[in-house]
Amino acid sequence: MINFSRVSLVYPTSTKTILEDLSFEISEGEMVLVIGSTGTGKSSLLRLINGLVPHHTGGILAGDISVAGISTRLVRPGELSHLVGIVGQNPAQGFVTDIVEEELAFGMEALNIAPDLMRKRVEEILDLLALSHLRDRAISTLSGGEQQRVAIGSALVMNPKVLVLDEPTSALDPIAAEEVLSILHRLVHDLSLTVVIAEHRLERVIGFADRIIHIAGDGSAEINLPEEILKRSDIAPPIVHLARALGLSQVGLSVRDVRRMTDDIRANGKDLEVFEPTQGEVAISTAKLSLSYQGKLALHDVTTNIYNGEIVALMGRNGAGKSSLLTTLVGLNNEAKGSSQICGLNSKDLKGKTRREKVGFIPQEPSDLLYGQSVKGECAQADKDNECAAGTALALLERIVPAIDPDTHPRDLSEGQRLALALAIVLSAQPQVLILDEPTRGLDYQAKTLLITLLKSFAKELNRSVLIATHDVELVAELCDRVIFLAEGEVVADGPTLEILLSSPAFAPQVAKVMSPRPWLTVSDVLRAVAQ
Amino acid sequence: MKSLHPLTWWIWSLLTIGAVIRADSSWLAGSAMAVAAILVWRFAVAAPWAKSFWFSLKIGVFILIIRTLVGVLIGVPIPGTKLVTVPIVPLPHWLAGIRIGGVITQERLLSSIHEGLIIIAVISLFGAAVSLTSPHKLLRVTPVAIYEFGVATVIATSALPNLVQSVTRIRRARALRGDEKPSWRSIALPLLEDSLSRSLELAAAMDARGFGVSRKRSRYRPITWHGLDSAIVLTSAALLAVTLAVVR
Repeated sequence: MINFSRVSLVYPTSTKTILEDLSFEISEGEMVLVIGSTGTGKSSLLRLINGLVPHHTGGILAGDISVAGISTRLVRPGELSHLVGIVGQNPAQGFVTDIVEEELAFGMEALNIAPDLMRKRVEEILDLLALSHLRDRAISTLSGGEQQRVAIGSALVMNPKVLVLDEPTSALDPIAAEEVLSILHRLVHDLSLTVVIAEHRLERVIGFADRIIHIAGDGSAEINLPEEILKRSDIAPPIVHLARALGLSQVGLSVRDVRRMTDDIRANGKDLEVFEPTQGEVAISTAKLSLSYQGKLALHDVTTNIYNGEIVALMGRNGAGKSSLLTTLVGLNNEAKGSSQICGLNSKDLKGKTRREKVGFIPQEPSDLLYGQSVKGECAQADKDNECAAGTALALLERIVPAIDPDTHPRDLSEGQRLALALAIVLSAQPQVLILDEPTRGLDYQAKTLLITLLKSFAKELNRSVLIATHDVELVAELCDRVIFLAEGEVVADGPTLEILLSSPAFAPQVAKVMSPRPWLTVSDVLRAVAQ
Repeated sequence: MKSLHPLTWWIWSLLTIGAVIRADSSWLAGSAMAVAAILVWRFAVAAPWAKSFWFSLKIGVFILIIRTLVGVLIGVPIPGTKLVTVPIVPLPHWLAGIRIGGVITQERLLSSIHEGLIIIAVISLFGAAVSLTSPHKLLRVTPVAIYEFGVATVIATSALPNLVQSVTRIRRARALRGDEKPSWRSIALPLLEDSLSRSLELAAAMDARGFGVSRKRSRYRPITWHGLDSAIVLTSAALLAVTLAVVR
């Protein structure tokens, strides 16, 4: 179906070869997963399939790519729209109309398909993706998972042979991600659709993939069966790490497979001793905090305390009010009712220097914080703001991620490096409380490990508190002491990570599913249990 | 409100702009802006692009202030009632004919403000059209024959609302860095990056979905022109006609 023969790609303004001499073939009805660290060219590979690269981006393409026998070199991406459907990383940026039904019809209108046929296909897709009840809704009012489904629908409505998705679950909560992936799984099996998907969170998709393309980053790439690739690759989901750590003979890719291989461990592992957390002073405290936007309740009577030295995760489905709570805490929502305090100061009274010293906030887009012309300039500005010795922030950055060229423009950094820079700037003010909104979106495993180490040392060594809003259960399992669960703006659960994650199957991390009913969340938990 | 044809407010505002320029009266410019403000306040839906009007007003005021200052301080003086005298900046002899500073007369001030008002009116009427029309709907009535134009229109019309959204987001993030009143320069860089990447993303999405492949386009739901559309357009057409006839 898709044929790459000796493909090499270089972008016009760079000397780096993105892909070099890559050849593979994907047949009909296959689901292929593309993995690689950030910035290695996963998106480029996906966009080569329908010709957006190089038709839309420029660049030098050697070799030939054909989809269903049509060479992408010879036709514009639009002329492949009936063959290849593509769903971008951020579907909200790719919507061309504003009503669900119109969005679905857009591609067909462009191809001048007769209205009655359009009606029929739109109805089919609305049913297939369970979107019927949303058909008249404005797209901007939909939740992340619903928007993702609309984006997939508007690609599928063209009856393509190939569907290409770039990180389809990165912005979704575990339940919505599961929904989207099971729909894709069904399409592959029922309609023999060919699916190519790029994803960082392997634990979510690994069970569905027939083959994996691993892009190494030096231009080379390998395509093989998942078992073969994951045997050696450093990019691997937690269950593969578990299998490696336990020295199992095979890497299992599904929870079921690994469970079968680990019966004795579940039976013989010792119980872990539970550390009673020593409670420090209150760092964040809210009482009866409520907030409404345009008549809609975003937060309702949120009362909670977060203590020094604690790392707390804020979880909940898309639109549950996580971001609202964070922005209210740092004093950006002045219309909130009730009290919210950070280190004894009212959130609303935080201004300028005091704010920097009390609370550090990393927004969803860390680049919002950056405006300097270079990494060096950015760090110098932070030093000046915080009145500390020149080079403090830069030294901190060096500790977080070594070997960033200080003359680089912040825009040219990778996702992980940019987060590191934002963290260095925020942390150089030595805030009492650190708040992060979805920090692992778009981060690869390596960057995530780095983030975990950094946050742990910040909270434990300096006895400060960290609050993270996230969908990433694996991150929560590795990092957090406590989980606060929000639904419709209310706190529905609040307790130790172990208790909360194990109580809901959708939010249980992979290792916990394998080891259930034993209460072990991470690979290191299991290793400790075995070693005792 | 019944949904109007996407071109209605655009035609209305273009004709009104024509009338304002033709009449060259600050009274008309002011009332046109007032009408636009009422329309936006009353009819704009809660969508990201609806804030464009207020944003364009701010830009307009900024331009008015700059223009008035420049108009008053530099150039040929208009004789009349003297308000204040500003010291004249000495300039080299080869810049003869240009003067910075000097006597500021009431006439000179008024004429500068008058010209500025016309400019604000034009900008804010354009902003009103953006606020009142969904850029997505606008695209659907753009003829395919002018494909490049269609893409450009969508990107241009969605760029202003996106800009407004991004400014809010970035200012909030910046306040958290302890920078309560960030300078324009420091916002401009992330802003530009943001809107550029969004626009490219949108263009790529349109391209990938076959926009412009077929010369003809079918309509899923026909967009019809109602009596109300004609009525709205007629009001501004009448205004233009009157100004054309009356003003010599």
